[in-house]
Amino acid sequence: MDMHVHDRRRFLALAAAAASAPLLTACGAGFGGDDKKNDGSAAADVTGSFDWKREKGKTVKALLNKHPYTDALIADLKTFTEKTGIKVEYDVFPEDNYFDKLTVDLSSGRASYDVFMLGAYMVWQYGPPGWLEDLGPWMRNSSATGDEWDRDDFFPNLLGADQWSLKAGAPLGQGGQYALPWGWETNVVAYNTEVFKKLGLKPAESFDALRDVASVIKRKAPGAGFDGMYGIAVRGSRSWATIHPGFMTMFARNGLKDFTVTDGKLKPAMNTPEAIAFTQDWAGMVKQGGPPSWTSYTWYQCSSDLGAKKAGMLFDADTAAYFQAVKGASPASGKIAFHPGPKGPDGSLATNMWIWSLGMNAKSKKKSAAWLFLQWATGKEHLRKGAITYNHIDPVRKSISQDGAYKDKMKHLEGFIDTFETVVDQTKIQFTPQAQFFDATTSWASALQEIYGGKNAKSVLNGLASDLASKVS
Amino acid sequence: MTSLTETDHGAASREEGARQVRAVPRWRRGLRPYLLIVPALLLTGGILYPFGLGLYYTLFDFSASKPRPDMVGFENYRTVFTQEAFWNSAWVTVLYAVGAAAVETVLGVAVALLLHRSSRVGRVLEKILILPLMIAPVIAAIIWKLMLQPSVGVINHLLTPFGLGGVQWTDTPTGALLSSIAVDVWVYTPFVAILALAGLRSLPTSPFEAAAVDGAHWWYTFRRLTLPMLWPYVLVAVIFRFMDSLKVFDIIYALTEGGPGDSTVVLQIRAYLEAIRFQRYSFGISYTIVLWAVVYLAAMVLVRYLGRLQNRAAEVSK
Amino acid sequence: MTRKSRLSEREPGSKPWLGWLADTALILYFVFALFPVAWMLILSLKPADQLFSTYFSFTPTLDSYRTVLGDSEGIPFVRFFVNSLVVSLGAVALSLVVGLPAAYASARWRFKGSENLMFTLLSFRFAPELTVIIPLFVLYQKLGLFDTYVGMVWVLQLVTLPLIVWIMRSYFADLTPELEQAALLDGYTRKQAFFRVALPLVKPGIAAVSLLAFIFAWNNFVFPLILTSSRAQTVTVGALSFLGGDRPKYNLTAAAALVSVVPPLLLALTIQRYLVRGLSFGAVKS
Repeated sequence: MDMHVHDRRRFLALAAAAASAPLLTACGAGFGGDDKKNDGSAAADVTGSFDWKREKGKTVKALLNKHPYTDALIADLKTFTEKTGIKVEYDVFPEDNYFDKLTVDLSSGRASYDVFMLGAYMVWQYGPPGWLEDLGPWMRNSSATGDEWDRDDFFPNLLGADQWSLKAGAPLGQGGQYALPWGWETNVVAYNTEVFKKLGLKPAESFDALRDVASVIKRKAPGAGFDGMYGIAVRGSRSWATIHPGFMTMFARNGLKDFTVTDGKLKPAMNTPEAIAFTQDWAGMVKQGGPPSWTSYTWYQCSSDLGAKKAGMLFDADTAAYFQAVKGASPASGKIAFHPGPKGPDGSLATNMWIWSLGMNAKSKKKSAAWLFLQWATGKEHLRKGAITYNHIDPVRKSISQDGAYKDKMKHLEGFIDTFETVVDQTKIQFTPQAQFFDATTSWASALQEIYGGKNAKSVLNGLASDLASKVS
Repeated sequence: MTSLTETDHGAASREEGARQVRAVPRWRRGLRPYLLIVPALLLTGGILYPFGLGLYYTLFDFSASKPRPDMVGFENYRTVFTQEAFWNSAWVTVLYAVGAAAVETVLGVAVALLLHRSSRVGRVLEKILILPLMIAPVIAAIIWKLMLQPSVGVINHLLTPFGLGGVQWTDTPTGALLSSIAVDVWVYTPFVAILALAGLRSLPTSPFEAAAVDGAHWWYTFRRLTLPMLWPYVLVAVIFRFMDSLKVFDIIYALTEGGPGDSTVVLQIRAYLEAIRFQRYSFGISYTIVLWAVVYLAAMVLVRYLGRLQNRAAEVSK
Repeated sequence: MTRKSRLSEREPGSKPWLGWLADTALILYFVFALFPVAWMLILSLKPADQLFSTYFSFTPTLDSYRTVLGDSEGIPFVRFFVNSLVVSLGAVALSLVVGLPAAYASARWRFKGSENLMFTLLSFRFAPELTVIIPLFVLYQKLGLFDTYVGMVWVLQLVTLPLIVWIMRSYFADLTPELEQAALLDGYTRKQAFFRVALPLVKPGIAAVSLLAFIFAWNNFVFPLILTSSRAQTVTVGALSFLGGDRPKYNLTAAAALVSVVPPLLLALTIQRYLVRGLSFGAVKS
């Protein structure tokens, strides 16, 4: 053992000298690691009474994803600067490349950005290596956090979703707060009211009914004046993003799990007989009522098909439909209604969600200023303005979701508020937290494509499960 | 055939030429070519210095879930080579690269030959030959994906009168691979065509004149003169294309993301997923090192072949 | 000097229907090659709400171009455009300065290891970007090259330099040494012979290969994606930014992509007469 360590160290030293002494330590995200975990938070250094101007003159760097929420944030930045005297510099990247950019940056161990956007799933990947600042101590420190931030105003399932103990399989809602919910999406069904009226259809209340409605639309709509319309748009590309919206929501409503956890050990459960049957039905639904070329479908194709009146329904993020439904956005504007979607056999409306969250770089050298920024960006003042003046919808705060002006703004969208309020309490992250999330869901999407392509569901899912079993253990 | 060789004007061969040009001391003469090449090597070699670090990473089990890695020797490579996924990816990559390079070569040379006829139509079209090359491949793939989307895409719309409106281009493994190759062909055929056209225009006239005097059939001329003399020019283009398509990334990433199933997961996609998306750096980089080795070997063979071809072409033109 | 191009035309051209056939084949290829560009043009002229609802009949508008060039989506496209110009031109210029001597040396002298050196140079191009991108990112951060023009110009050498060296090498090799020998006999130095005799003769080749290199540098995606941020970001990365967020705005992406075609296109038209002839070298040889 000693010998081994010694050898390795000597080898490291040798190689470092020969090749790249500064580089290796710089890649310290990996080599060398983060030594001061749980050594106390920088939050403890903030004392005295809370003051927005505490860090004035500083500059915070933010990495942002191109999104309407981001647009709202950028438009309101001068308010923040006036309030705190802190300047914010930001880079915006499109979603397709955003996480590559963020991942490379974080894994390099550089503190190029103090704050950034991320989803709850990313916490499972970025948290364990120590890249994310635990915001819990900041939230609890009344010198660092003003009273008006009001932590209890957040929907508790959202705040809990960004909380984790960094142990695979451990439930969310415990441990460190690795990001703050900022904007989110529930996965529900949006549908084209015109075609539903014309064909005399009603939103499906069960998965069987959903499959029926989808195939009825695909068979009948093109003959009823909806050229080329099919039943239901769901994502199908070979990506983790295919699993988490509609598929995972329906999966969860059927009482199914991705993994079972016993004594801290994860066991893939996407190949239980019930899960196999469900997966087969899902692939069948896509075949019977889904989009042509489904395996290339990302949210771009799904949402634009709903907008172009090519899809009768969309089972995806409510925001994906929202941005097609708003006035002047698409030919289907004004003809899109929302519905919670089919219930599970036991009436469950368990819903999976995506949360755009804001996190802080554990390597940041301006944590106090960065915290002021996070506090402001997730605070009532900005989020209310974002929700009402801009398109920062699906509020993470109860007060805003109940705000009269917000409800007024959304009420022209049939069923939007009702749907939101129906599912909000049953909406949570339906996945088992674990660091191999992206690998597991990418392989899962690939398996789904193969089943759709005609392969035997049981053998494909068994193969997936045995492959994942070795990766998550 | 003898009449062909008589038309050689006897330009001094390169070596002879160089031998006659001797005005500086021998040692400096010996050093000069190196001095001329060194800056280029340093410039590119310098930027690739991290390559060594990448190579070094592969000896560890460095990943996000193991930020304090252990040295594992060649374990990563062993895993790569024993994975079914690797062999699948390697196979798909070769299919893609051979397919794309072959179609681009045939199509590119054909287009060059047609343009070389210099008809009125050709002279106009030649001016815009290069246009597809100017669209960044990643954007080209996105536009193609949009055009191929059966629900709202223009291609299915245009094919509807022919009963082909329902074709699902990328929905089957074969379809997805062929569609990706088609995008590659769209982007890069002009590259091959331009180099081939340049080659055609630079062929010496005399052998052709001689062949015409002999009354040779055009097919004979084409096979025995045009093609062998043109081939070295084309081969440079083919080498670049083949090497680049072995490490294709952006076109597939934007078009199919590797699907359906694992049918278009080429090596770079696999490496990207492993190294960046799943954050198993050491393992992901091992994939790229293997890919690099494959490309290197393929290039070595092709370049050697190129050298032989150039010699043969030189003989034909004599 | 006869125009060689006529020669191979003669045979198939002897039958008029063959000529027709050839033209038809050519037109078919160009339909394939130009249709996507035409479609991008149509997309870019469509109003946002007609993007997916119509194919060819729509109310054309220049709004997309106004949005893209007016930076009104929060994406400073004009700056990206300037960045692309600077780094692509810079990369080609640098490649020419170090690449031409290298190409010349390897074409004129047979020296020990010459083939190996040239092959090494070419092989740099084969390194998959992913192998180097993370270490390179760290290196750039360390050296302060991250998100700078210098950093981009340097890394783009991997794209431009091997292309320039390898193609220019064939043209130098095709150039008969007699002319330089004559110049040397006239009392020129080696350097003068290179600059005054060899270089002017391969000028068309330089123009053509520079254009190709410029295009490849301009279109590179992975390097600017990872190695730049807002300051030195380029158009290829920038054009994709329009797809994010609420709706996929293909009209804006198409407009951005077409705007970014302008510089290479202008360059191509400027050197049009060199483009193909430049890459060929027959005129000198015969």
